[in-house]
Amino acid sequence: MTARHTVTRRRMVKGLVGASALTAAPAFLRHASAAAPIKIGIPTVITGGYALLGSQVIRTCKLVKKMTDAKGGVLGQPVEFFYQDTQGDPATCVRKCQELVERDNCRILSGVIVSSEAAAMLPKLEEWNAIFISHGNGDGRLTAELLVPRFFRANTSAPMGARALALYLKDAPEKKFIAMASDAAWGRSSNAAFEEQIKKVGKDLVDKMYAPVANKDYSPYITRILQSGAQGCYVALQGDEARAFYSQATQYGLAQRVQFFTEIVAQADIKVLGKDAIGLMGSSRYPLTYDIPQNNAFREAFMSEYKNEIPDWSDGEMYQALMILFAAIEKAGSPEPTKIAAAMEDLDVTSVKGPVLMRKCDHQGENQGFVVKVARNEKYAEPVAEIVKIYPREMNTPDCRSSSFSK
Amino acid sequence: MSLGFILAQCLGALSQAAVLFFIACGLTLIFGIMRIINFAHGAIFMLGAYVGFTIVAVTGSFLLSLLLAPIVVGGLGMAFERVFLRHLYGRRDGGAYLLLTFGLAVVLSEVIRVIWGAQPRASGIPDFLRGIVVIVEQPFPLYRLFLIAAGLAAALAVWQFLERTRAGLLIRAVSQNAEMVHALGTDVALVRTAVFGLGCAMAALGGVLAAPLVTAFLGMGTTVVIDAFVIVIIGGMGSFLGSLIGSVLVGFVQVLGAYYFQDLALAFMYFLMLIVLVIRPGGLLGRED
Amino acid sequence: MSRNVSFALTVGICMLLPFMVPQYSLTVLIEALIFGLFAMSLDLLVGYCRLYSFGHAAAYGLGAYSAALILTRLLLPLPIGIVLAVLVTTLVAIPIAWICTRSTGVSFAMLTLAFAQLGYAMLFRFRDITGGSDGIVGIPRPPGPLGMTWFQGKTGYYYLVLGCLIGSYLLCRAIVRSPFGAVLAGIRENEAKTIALGYNTRAYKIATVVLAHGFGALAGALYAAFAGFASPELFFWLVSGRVLIMVVVGGAGTLIGPILGGVFFVFLEHELSEITDLWPLIFGSVFMTFVMFAPQGIWGILTRRSNPGAELPGAGNETSDAAA
Repeated sequence: MTARHTVTRRRMVKGLVGASALTAAPAFLRHASAAAPIKIGIPTVITGGYALLGSQVIRTCKLVKKMTDAKGGVLGQPVEFFYQDTQGDPATCVRKCQELVERDNCRILSGVIVSSEAAAMLPKLEEWNAIFISHGNGDGRLTAELLVPRFFRANTSAPMGARALALYLKDAPEKKFIAMASDAAWGRSSNAAFEEQIKKVGKDLVDKMYAPVANKDYSPYITRILQSGAQGCYVALQGDEARAFYSQATQYGLAQRVQFFTEIVAQADIKVLGKDAIGLMGSSRYPLTYDIPQNNAFREAFMSEYKNEIPDWSDGEMYQALMILFAAIEKAGSPEPTKIAAAMEDLDVTSVKGPVLMRKCDHQGENQGFVVKVARNEKYAEPVAEIVKIYPREMNTPDCRSSSFSK
Repeated sequence: MSLGFILAQCLGALSQAAVLFFIACGLTLIFGIMRIINFAHGAIFMLGAYVGFTIVAVTGSFLLSLLLAPIVVGGLGMAFERVFLRHLYGRRDGGAYLLLTFGLAVVLSEVIRVIWGAQPRASGIPDFLRGIVVIVEQPFPLYRLFLIAAGLAAALAVWQFLERTRAGLLIRAVSQNAEMVHALGTDVALVRTAVFGLGCAMAALGGVLAAPLVTAFLGMGTTVVIDAFVIVIIGGMGSFLGSLIGSVLVGFVQVLGAYYFQDLALAFMYFLMLIVLVIRPGGLLGRED
Repeated sequence: MSRNVSFALTVGICMLLPFMVPQYSLTVLIEALIFGLFAMSLDLLVGYCRLYSFGHAAAYGLGAYSAALILTRLLLPLPIGIVLAVLVTTLVAIPIAWICTRSTGVSFAMLTLAFAQLGYAMLFRFRDITGGSDGIVGIPRPPGPLGMTWFQGKTGYYYLVLGCLIGSYLLCRAIVRSPFGAVLAGIRENEAKTIALGYNTRAYKIATVVLAHGFGALAGALYAAFAGFASPELFFWLVSGRVLIMVVVGGAGTLIGPILGGVFFVFLEHELSEITDLWPLIFGSVFMTFVMFAPQGIWGILTRRSNPGAELPGAGNETSDAAA
C-alpha cells in the first residue's frame, strides 16, 4: 500500500462523505409546495416484509388519482398522494409521518399497513393537526382503548372478521373448533373475538394457539390441530405466515380432515397456493365478486388499468377508505382536517362493499360481513373467493368502543 | 398423547433440523476456515430459494433445481470472496467482516426484490413427493421425510468429504493452522474461496428445499440467519459435527417448545444457547476461541 | 485549529441549529443525535475493549421500555423518569455483564445476542405490561421538577438531547482518559499482560459493559419520550447490527467517530428513502465501500488517522503503554 494509493482512496472517500452531506442539505432547503391540491400522505411499506401490501396500496392510490383527475378532482381541487417508505417499523413510520405533515403539509394520512405503526401514530394526530383514516388496520383496540378523535377506521376490523364467520358457523355442521393466530396484536384481537363469538353461538372452542410473528415451521401447530379432534380451524394469519401455514397444512392433508376458516382471504395467497386454496372458507374484507354497481365499476377500472390483475383485499379496502374520505370532504366543503372529521361522523356511503356507516361514537365504519369460499371461476385466471353469505352491517359491527358484540 | 403423535412431533422436529442443518453447516465451515461470521448467510439461503424457483419455472424439474441452484449460488459466493473478502484478510479488527457481510445481506435482499419483485414465489412440491404417509395412524408429509433423508445424505456426504478426501483434509488442516499448510505449499487462498463457495452452496440448497414449505418470499432469511448462528454457537464454531448436533437440538427445542410452551416458544432456543455457553463457552464441540 | 476550539465551535453551531433548519428536519436531527449517543455507548465496548456486542439493542430497548413504563404509569417528571430508566437498566445489566464476560470474542458476541433476543421474546410473553407487538404508546412528557416545561416542545427536547449527548461524551472522554481507561487499553492491546500485571480484567470488562448499557439506556429513554412509544422492534437484532455498523463506519475507539457515524447514517437512510425505492441497495453498498476503502471510519478520514483502533487514552497521538 503506497502513500499515493492511500491519498487517492482518501480523496474518494472524502468525496463520498461530502456527497452524502450534500444529500442531507436539500432537506434543509426544501420548502413546502403550494396548498391548492388536496394532499394525502401515504406512509406505507415499500421495502421489507409487507412490501406486497404496500405495493397494493400504492397501485390503488394511483388508480384513484387517475379517476379523480378525470372527474376534475374533489371539490374542484386535484388530489395529490405523497408516498413514503416506513419499512413496517413504527419508529420510521412516525418519523415519515412527521415529515409528511411538516414538510409536505399533508393533513390526511392513510395506507398504513402494520397495526403497531397505527398505534404509534394515534397519540400524535392532535399535535400534527391531521386525520388518519385506516384502510386495513385490524386491531380491535384502535377503536376502543386507543381511540382518538382524529382516527377513523373505514375497514373491517379483526373482531368483525371473526364475527361474520362465527355467525355463519352457528348453522354449520362443525361443532368443535380450534383457533390459530399470529402473536401480533391483531391476531390476539382476532382470536379473542372469535372465542367470544363461537361460544355465543353454542359451539366448542377446544384450544387457542399463537405462533410467533414470522414463524416458519407450523408442524407443531398442525400436529396439535390433528390431535385436538376439532372439525373446524379458525386461522388468523396473514401474508407470509398464512402461505407457510397453508402450504404445510396441505402437505399434511389437513384440509381433508378439518375445514379451515380464515379471518382474511387474500388473493395473493390464493394465487400462490393455486389449487391448494380451493375449498378454503373465510371472512372477506373485500368481496371481489360482489355484484353491485360501485364494485363492478371499480373492478373493471382496476383490471383494465392493471392488465387483469385481480384486486386484492387491501386494494378494495383502500379504495373504499378513499371514497369515504372524498365523500366527507365534499360534505364538509373543505379539506381542513377538523371539518373533514366532523363531516365523517355519521356519514353513510355506499361503496364497493355496499352501504357503510361511519359511526360517530367510535369512528368505526359499519361494514357488511362477507363469508366466502375459494372456488374456480371461469371469468378469472385464478381461483377466487365467492360469496357464500352476507351479514347486515349492524349485526357485523361490535358495540361502541369495544371488541364485543352484545347483539 | 399417543405414540403416533409423539412420533409425528419428532419427525417434524427432525425435518426442521434438516433445513437448519444446511444453513448451519455452511456457516460453520466458513467460520472454521476464515473466522468470518457471515451475516449474509440468510440472504444467500433466500437467493437459493428464488434461483430454485426460476430453474423450476424454466425447466420444470425440481431435481434439476436441487442440482443447479447450489452451483449457481456457490459460484456467486466464490466470486464475492475473491472480489471483496479476500482483501480483508490482513486486517486486524473483526469489524470489517461484519460490515462487509452485513452490507452484502442488505444489497442481496434488495437485488432479489428488484429481480423477482415483491410477490412471493412458489413452485410447490413436485408431484412425486406430494404424498402423505400414515405413521401409526397419523398423517405425515412425504416431503418432510424427503427433507430428513436429504439432510442425512448431505451430512454423510460432507462428513465423508471432510474425513476421507484430500480436499477435506486440506480444509481441516487450514482451519487448524493455515500458515503451516501454506508453508507446505498449498494455495490457502484457493481453499478459502472453495470453502466459502461450498458454504454458500449448502445454504442455497437449504433454500431450495425449504421453499415448498414456506414459499420463497422477501425476508425469509432474516430469522433463519439468527437460528443458524445459535446452532453454530451451541455446536461449537467450526465443528461440523457440532452443527449437526446443534441443528437437531434446536429443531427439537423449537418444535417441542412451540407445542408445549407456546408463550415462551421464541425464548427457548436462546435459553438453550445461554445454558450451553455458560457451561461450555466454546460450544459443545468447539474450541475456546 | 486546536481541538478544544473546534469542539466549542461545533457545540455552538449545534445550539443554533434549531433556528437555522425547518421543523421537520429537527425531528430527524433529534433522532440522529439520539442514535449518535447510542453508537457512542457501544464504542466503549467495541473501540476501547474490543468486545463486539451483537446485542446492544437490549440496552436501548430496556431504557426505552423502562422510561415508557415509568412515565406512563408513575407520571414522574420527565428528567426523573429518564434518570430512573437509566438506573434500572444499569442494574439489570450487571448480571448480564457478569454472564457475558465469561467468554470473549464470538462467544461474547453471541451471548449478548442471546440476551437481546430473550428480551425481545419476553416482551411478547408479558404483553399485559409491555403491550405485546404494539408496545407502549402515548408516552407523555410530564413537567417538572420545579415546574419545568421547556422540554415538552420539540425545540426544547432538542436541547435536552443535545445536552445529554454532550454531557455523556465529556463523561466518557474523562473515563477513557483516566487510569480506568488505561487499563481498558491494556485489556484491548494485550489482556494476558494486563492480568499478569495484577489487574482483575473481568471486573473492568463488567464495568465497561454496565457503563455501555447505561449510556445506551439513556439513548433509549430519550427516544421513547421523544417518539411517544416503545415497541419490540427496538430490541431486534437488526438494531444491534445497525449500531455496530455505525460504530465501525464512524471510527471505533474515538467516541466522536461513532457519534458522527450515527448521525450520518440516520440522515443518509432518511434522505435516500425519499429519493429512491432502491435505497437499501445504495445503503448496503456504502457500508461495503467504507469497509473496503476506509477502515478507519469517517472520523479517521477527517483526522487523517490510518491506524484503526489506535486511539488511546490521553490527548493527541502519543502511544502509551498500558499503565506499565
